[in-house]
Amino acid sequence: MLDILIAIIDFPATKWLLLIMGLVMPLASILTWMERRQSAMMQDRLGPNRANIGPIKLKGILHFIADAVKMIFKEDFIPANVHKGLFALAPVLALAPVLIAFAIIPFGPTIYPHSLTSTIDTYALATAPGSYAFADSIRLQIFSIDFGLIFYFAVLTLANYGGTIAGWASYNKWALLGGLRSSSQMMSYEVAMGLALMGVFLWTGTLEPGAIALHGASATMSPSNPLNWMWLWQPVGLVLFFTAAIAETKRAPFDIPEGEPEIIGYFVEYSGIRWGMFFLAEFIEIVFVSAVIATIFFGGWQLPFLDADGFRIGGYIDQVTHMSVGGTVLHLPHLVVVLLQAGAFAGKVVLLSMFQLFIRWTLPHMRADQLMNLGWKWLLPLTLANIMVTALIRLLFL
Amino acid sequence: MSSHQEAAPSHDGPKVLAVSERSPRVRSIAVVRPGEPDVNYLAATAKGLAITLKHFARNFFLPMKSADERAKPGAPVDETWKNEIETVQYPEEKVTYPERFRGLHRLMLRDDGAVRCVACMCCPTACPAHCITIVPEESDSLRIEKRPAIFEIDELRCIACGLCVEACPCDAIRMDTGEHAKPVEDRARSIETKETMMARGIQSVATQGGEGPNWRETATPPSK
Ligand code: SF4
Ligand code: SF4
Repeated sequence: MLDILIAIIDFPATKWLLLIMGLVMPLASILTWMERRQSAMMQDRLGPNRANIGPIKLKGILHFIADAVKMIFKEDFIPANVHKGLFALAPVLALAPVLIAFAIIPFGPTIYPHSLTSTIDTYALATAPGSYAFADSIRLQIFSIDFGLIFYFAVLTLANYGGTIAGWASYNKWALLGGLRSSSQMMSYEVAMGLALMGVFLWTGTLEPGAIALHGASATMSPSNPLNWMWLWQPVGLVLFFTAAIAETKRAPFDIPEGEPEIIGYFVEYSGIRWGMFFLAEFIEIVFVSAVIATIFFGGWQLPFLDADGFRIGGYIDQVTHMSVGGTVLHLPHLVVVLLQAGAFAGKVVLLSMFQLFIRWTLPHMRADQLMNLGWKWLLPLTLANIMVTALIRLLFL
Repeated sequence: MSSHQEAAPSHDGPKVLAVSERSPRVRSIAVVRPGEPDVNYLAATAKGLAITLKHFARNFFLPMKSADERAKPGAPVDETWKNEIETVQYPEEKVTYPERFRGLHRLMLRDDGAVRCVACMCCPTACPAHCITIVPEESDSLRIEKRPAIFEIDELRCIACGLCVEACPCDAIRMDTGEHAKPVEDRARSIETKETMMARGIQSVATQGGEGPNWRETATPPSK
């Protein structure tokens, strides 16, 4: 019985559903409300606070339900002369790649179902990983592949076709302009985005997000130590990647394809739930970018100082002898550790998403040529310099 | 002379590259844009984020100002640990309108409660939106020739210009109720009738058709 349950949970589709339905979709929907509410607070307004079901008001959180209901029941209007097939395909093309890309994100620690109630013995885990206590482990990552980040770049680039095809299929000059801008914007950030992570690659020697999250820069600090995470060792890479990633989400200051004040963008002819899919894709992309940054630069699902066996202050687990060295350890059962760590991942994603909203509501919108300048004259040389310096440091000191 | 006219311009103006000979005011000027070295994206972003973060934190954590304070536009920031949100939560809270705000119409009343309007047709003539419909009838009184049998204003078409009030020779129609036109579910309901407008009406302070004492000397104006 338990075996079947474990097998079901360990199935990639189950994990995908867990991640998408448990974290990504709720967060993305609530972000649609949070964005309006947060931007209002930043501008000394109140924001949407009225939607309610009877007396349940929750400060207006229910607005996202109202939005969904509205979008679903709105007329699905297809203008004359659009290319019907492509018109219908475009929103799917915008939404699907983002959901697929989540496959590489580790959203929690490895679960050992047979020792949920006991404390994990880190020494036994390292020396005898095949024993019964650690059998049937469930890795909270859908696919752990060596080329993880490459997969992410490859898949998310496909999302651009959504915008471009929507612009082409709409039979509308503004939409076409938006679609063209969407593909030309990709030229500006894509190279810098890939190269910005090469510093991390040089440092950790892997492109697998789960391994990057767990990578320790030094053997005398456990991987859960925040000083061991990549934000400290690749600060330039972090800033450059963040900038390029915001360009990827196509939001202000890089909302050139959408260009609300000028051309409305590639989805100008869309209405109802089809438009809703573009809208949702945008917010899911925010969540995805946050998840990637949390995983690569902020230790992924690790809570500071929480190792597999509990909170460890001051000490570390020796990487060679696998013994706990020094410090005080507050032992916790495995289940508590797993919940704390999965919660830590969700928390990091929420905070980073909020930070993206802050950026979106702080900076003015850029022109296409300014983004081109930024991407090719600033981001690209800086990423190259970052790679050189990282390589030199690796070569000389480590 | 007010001082701002004498104040010298704060900068020397744009650099003039060429001036047209025929009309010297046609010039080509050099547009000054911040050059690349002046643009410091990162520092500017950090500065902007600090400002928005400060506003957000203040508005998120501190309690709201009282409704009265929010209703005053541009009121100075309260120093006693209140946030800066200015939103007036409309149906529950309202800003007081200026005295000359043009709201829903009302028909003024005579001393005996009859309608003051004499159906002179000045207001439908003046109305640029053609939204006043008056059907006159003969009045009971010997002194007054006509009165409206039907007096309707379509508030959906009304542009709240106030010309009807200006046109009226006997203070029979006013827009000083301070009320908005109510939202309605079908268009017929937005039509104000004689009865509804008289229900809002008050007695005018003008003299009754030249009869009686002048209100300027005797009466204190009735309150709304
Ligand atoms: S306010 Fe203007 S538009 Fe409205 S009824 Fe009077 S004259 Fe007509
Ligand atoms: S409201 Fe005044 S202007 Fe209009 S018909 Fe009556 S008396 Fe004449």
